[in-house]
Amino acid sequence: MIAYKVLEADGTGRFSGFRWPLPNGAPGDWVDGEVDPCRSGVHALRPSDLPYWLGPSLFEIELDGPISEIGLKVVATRGRLLRRVDAWDDPMRLAFSTMCIERARELAASDPQRLNAWVNADIDAGPALLGYVAERIAEEIEGPAAGKAERESQARWLSEHLQLGA
Amino acid sequence: MPSDGTEKGFTCREVVELATEYVDGAMSAEDHELFEVHLNYCDGCVAFIEQVRTASRLSRRINESELSPDLREKLLAAFRDWKRE
Repeated sequence: MIAYKVLEADGTGRFSGFRWPLPNGAPGDWVDGEVDPCRSGVHALRPSDLPYWLGPSLFEIELDGPISEIGLKVVATRGRLLRRVDAWDDPMRLAFSTMCIERARELAASDPQRLNAWVNADIDAGPALLGYVAERIAEEIEGPAAGKAERESQARWLSEHLQLGA
Repeated sequence: MPSDGTEKGFTCREVVELATEYVDGAMSAEDHELFEVHLNYCDGCVAFIEQVRTASRLSRRINESELSPDLREKLLAAFRDWKRE
């Protein structure tokens, strides 16, 4: 299975602190781990999961062995990084952040007295926070399904602009 | 599921309340995921969790017998006051 991995700029896991073997013209080395969701195993993302986990760098990862799809991620017994998704760069992060804050303002306009204070977030707050702000405003107006739909829309934006799976 | 019973994820206040549970690895997989979704966009909570981790690491290096009676009493008083707040 091909999936995605969000890492720090130097290839370190954001929560695990694990330093991934990086691809360098060829795939990185395989990494093995026993599956225990959120604790061990190789954690990766489907395109639909990406908006929840955006960070400094994005890699395509090949997963092998039994794979569990759990919540907002997949967990496998082994994986290796295939390539850095170079399109996830500063201009793209800014474009995504801009899209999210504009969407949040558009949604907030339906109830400005209550929601305008929510969209004071600065564009520098970054894509992860601004994606969340848009989701929460949609959820506040129309309920959890609208929040989920907002995240799905963000995932489509990312897949299209980063040409994921192409 | 977050403690408020919704699917909204954790608030900063809930992250503070559950920080030790997270650092000790005592959370359910579902809560653990929602907790980290919050940390992924909230730098303030990331900094707080780092402080809790550091405090947890340091406290494991101290034996009760190494504490002076005076410091031991001050710590117990602080914990008692904290629970009352």
